[in-house]
This record gives sequence, structure tokens and C-alpha cells, in this order.
Amino acid sequence: MSTVRDLVATRRDNAVMDAGAVRAIRRAILTAIAVPGYQVPFGSREMPVARGWGSGGLQVTMALVGSADVVKVIDQGDDEGVNAVNLRRLILRASGATETDDVSESTIVQTRHRIPEAGMVDGQILVLQVPEPEPLRGVERDTRELERMHAEADYAKMWVSLYEDRVRNGMITRTTGYPCVVAGRYVISTTPIPRWDVPALHRAPYLALFGAGRAKRIYAIPPDTTVEPMTFEDVPFEVEFTPGARCRHCGSDDSYLVSTPREEGGETWACSDTSWCRARRHQRGAQ
Amino acid sequence: MGYAAARGGLAAIRAAESLVQQLREQATTTTPADIQLIEHFGALVDRVMGEGGVWGPEMAAAALRQGGGDPIEAAHLIRSKRSTLAVIAVARADADEIQVLRRIVPAYRTPPGAQILGATSDYAGRILDMSPPSTPADRHVTNPAQQTAVVENGDRTPQRLLSVLRDLDLVVDRRRDDDPEPFDITQVAARPPAPRSARLSAMARAETGALVNVWYRNILGPDGYLHEITLGEVRHGHIPVRIDHPHTGRPITVCRVRVTEVEAIEDLDGIDEDRTRVDVGYGFCLGHNEKKAIAMANLDIACHRDNGRTQLEQSLLLTTDGLESTGFLEHLKLPHYVTFRSIIERKMAARRRA
Repeated sequence: MSTVRDLVATRRDNAVMDAGAVRAIRRAILTAIAVPGYQVPFGSREMPVARGWGSGGLQVTMALVGSADVVKVIDQGDDEGVNAVNLRRLILRASGATETDDVSESTIVQTRHRIPEAGMVDGQILVLQVPEPEPLRGVERDTRELERMHAEADYAKMWVSLYEDRVRNGMITRTTGYPCVVAGRYVISTTPIPRWDVPALHRAPYLALFGAGRAKRIYAIPPDTTVEPMTFEDVPFEVEFTPGARCRHCGSDDSYLVSTPREEGGETWACSDTSWCRARRHQRGAQ
Repeated sequence: MGYAAARGGLAAIRAAESLVQQLREQATTTTPADIQLIEHFGALVDRVMGEGGVWGPEMAAAALRQGGGDPIEAAHLIRSKRSTLAVIAVARADADEIQVLRRIVPAYRTPPGAQILGATSDYAGRILDMSPPSTPADRHVTNPAQQTAVVENGDRTPQRLLSVLRDLDLVVDRRRDDDPEPFDITQVAARPPAPRSARLSAMARAETGALVNVWYRNILGPDGYLHEITLGEVRHGHIPVRIDHPHTGRPITVCRVRVTEVEAIEDLDGIDEDRTRVDVGYGFCLGHNEKKAIAMANLDIACHRDNGRTQLEQSLLLTTDGLESTGFLEHLKLPHYVTFRSIIERKMAARRRA
């Protein structure tokens, strides 16, 4: 569904936005694909969901989706998260697309905070909801200066901030939304996906689109593009790791696990990607 | 349970929605009609139209009802409705055509044109009236003739104070000869440095309290020093809105909307400024909302004088929209356990390293 010709084709209005908005967002998406990692400004429309609740991801999905699409929506990796359910309801109602929780069946996966554990393939589109697209916000507040820094690839302040972090704390303490260099040029915020998911973006076979509705920016990682976490030659990039943690449902220790505190103390772990975990359990049950 | 981790998210949000519905169904009184909201809560309806950026009193009233009286929720409802509508024409309105219902000029005792107080409770004692609501039959028959008479006595399109000041060559002339298309913030993202029209549109749709706060913060707060203006015009009235007829090309009036307009006179006192003249800031918004229009006019001239020295423009463009600020605030209620796990993981890693 994602040829360039498809992207520029004229479409009718839908129940969420008019055809003019659809075209404008498609143009922004094309620009974003052409300049990987560059934050393309767009005239973000007000959606039936609030700013900060996936209004950017929803606009990107609504600009792409048609009735032939199969859509998976997750929040925290969970298809049944309340916000995922709500967004899926809106997308299906407005587009006539069908839903799935199986990554391999989907043409579009819209997500907040996670990338599915099961690998996606060429031809699929990953749409990430972005609360704050600006990776340099922590080191610079002035939007005019931020624009200059990106334009000149002046990421010195970010390097210094990472270096100071390392020197003060003996390690890089950044958690989610880890800054990454895309195609050797622009630094992006990897939304707040965990560091666990960052390696999946590197040379991924699928198109990843980042929609920030409140901040009115869209950026993209086209298929087979390099995505390198900003780190130093002698300081390896670290993903989340808890010694001994294992999913209480499927036994996995090789997926992004989230913790459930126990009333009697301690905690148990479970996969945040619920459909992947369920599939793994089925598979193991069948064996 | 049912919040996120458990299966059954759809059932959970449906149940939450039906609870809202049930609470409404338990109400012992009739739902207020559009006309009741428009007639009795005009300030609220006007605020929703202004912040929603759409003229439509009935639409705003319906949105207020649906949103349980929350103005930002109501503005959200009408803005997302607007997103579904195609742009079919660009309307024009000429502020000199405002037919005033109210017009005051604090800068002069007797300005050109009349001072018309119009409907205002500015000077009423703020004494709470707990008497029961009235019905039309209880009330003295309002005398529309009398009210109109007050307005008819004055000129309904009074000359602007600004034109008098211009004749006296007292105003820095910033009028431009070209007529650039205004920046449409609903179609293009505005970022500093932006054209003045972008700043004005952003402020016209801003959340009233947010705009008042940016103003006040710059008067007393740590951010900067904003000079207080003298008001040259405060107007509330009807303005005709025209579009070009798609076939004949001739301008036709499609509606009249009520607006508030403010001109703020600024005493230029900077070392690099013209000390022989004053300058003017402009405020304009849908409905009757003088708080917003005055803050806007003062911030308009403040931003011009600031000329990019501080981040005032960034504050105006990026922090005053009610939907953006409250939406982002409220998103904190969404599940964040994936990110939280990552935070805790770094804490534990730091301990292991120590």
C-alpha cells in the first residue's frame, strides 16, 4: 500500500480530517522520508483525541490508512491498553480498515512507547506516537537556536551532556527516548521507546514514521537506514537489563519486561508486548 | 484492573463512558438547551468560540453541554469538528466595519466618537445574588428599544483614536504597502521567528487564562519586563464577514460575528526607540472577551519591541494554546510503565556500579 504513487493520490474526506489535511500530511511524510531524521513541520489538525494522547500518530495513520489495511495499535506494547483501544476504535470507524493484534498480519502498526518484539518486514509501516520530538530540548530551550543546531549538525551540546553524565555517574543514565543519529546526519528522539527497542530501528526493513501532533512535527526512518545511538567508542550502549528477570507467563528473558510489584515484597516480570508473549506461550504449548 | 495490563481494555473504556452517561441520566433537571447556555452563559460560550477558533454559538453551546461545562473540552470538540470540514473559501473582515455595542477609550476623557459603556458589569458591586432564577414572566419586559436607543445615540462606527493620533504624527508608522496573505496557523506550524499575523492568530485562539498569565508573568514575574500600555480602543461589536462568491467573484456577506477589538498605545521608552512617537499593539478575538483582547494587544506590541531578544515570542506561539497544554498535562494519566521501568532500571544499574 505504500508506494509513492499511493501516497500522493487524492483521497476523500474522512470522519477525522478533511482531504486537504490528508494531502498536506502525506506531503510532510514524503518530505520526512526524503530527509531521514529531519523534523518536518506540518499543520497539525485537532483530532478527536487530545494533544499528547497520540494525535500525531493518529494523523499519520489516518493519512495513510485505507479500507484494505490491517491495523494493529499498541500502547506500552499492549493491544488492550485503554488508549490503544480508543485509537483503534477511531481508526477503524473512520477508515473501514480491519484490526489485528498479530504483527505479521498488519500493514500499519501504530504504537506508543514500544516497538513490537516480533520483527516487521519490508512493506509494513510502523507509526510512533511522539510526545516531544526535540531530542535537544534538554540542552537548549530556544527554538531558534535548536533549528540552527540541527541545520548545522551542531550536536556538541548533546555530546557534552552525555560526557558529563558519564563522568558524574560512571554510566550514561538516560532512560527512554535515547538520542540517535539517523543516516549519519540528524539526531532524533526515539520517542520514549526504551533503549531495548533502539537496535531494532537500525537498518530496519520497514518504514518508521514519527508523528508529534502537539509539536506539529513528522519525521521518518526509511527502510534500511542507519540509526546509531549517541555513545562513545569506549562506552557501549546499554539496553535495559535486570539480572534474573524472566517473564512469568512465557519464561522469556530476551524481551522487554515490565515489573509487577508484589504486596509481600519483591516483584515479578512480564513481557510488555502481550501478543508476542501469548504467541510464544501457544508455540511452547504446541511443542 | 482493566486499566492497561489486563485484557478487556475496550470493556473498561466502554464502562467508563457509560458511567458518565449514567451520571447524566441521574440528573433531576432538564439538560440546558443551546439557547439557555447562549442567553445565560454568554461569556462562557464566547470564550469557547474564541479558543475553538470557530464562530457558532449553537455549536459552542452543544460542545459545552457535551463537555460538562469544561471550556477547554468544549473548544477541543469544536476544533476537532473543524478538522473534518474542507476549507472552501477564505473570508475577509474589515475591522473598520465593526458596529460597536460597546466602545471605550481610556486614553481620553472625550475621544473622537462616543464612549459607549454598553453591557458591562465592570462597575457593578460584586455582591453575590442568591435569589432564585427568574423566568421570563418574572422579569420586567426588557426594553430592546431602550437599549438600542443608547447605541443609536452614539456613532456605531466611531472614528478610531489611532487615526487622530496618526494625523498628529504621534504614531510610529508600521503600516506596509504590500498586502501579504496572513499566516494560517491551522494549516502551517508557526515557530519563532514568525510573522506578526501568526502571533496574532495564536493569541486569538489562546486559552484566556494562559494569555493573561503570560501577560502578568511578564509584568511581575521573573521572565522579563513588559511595559504597561494605555488602552486606545476597547470595542465589542458585530463585524460582517465576506467571501468572494464562487461564481460571480463579487464579495458577499456570509454572516456577522461578534468580536472584541483592542488597540493598545505604547509609550516607547527604549534607548533605541523613537522617543517622539508612540506605537500600537493589536488585540482581536471572537466573542466578547476583553481580558484576552487586552492581554493580546499588550503582548503584541511587547513582542514587536522585544524583537527576538528574549523568548517571549516562543512563549506566545508554543505555550498558550489550551488544547496543547491541557492535552499534554492530561496525557500523564496514560500508562507510563514502559518508560518507568526504564527509569528504575537505570537507578538499579547505578547502584550496582557504585
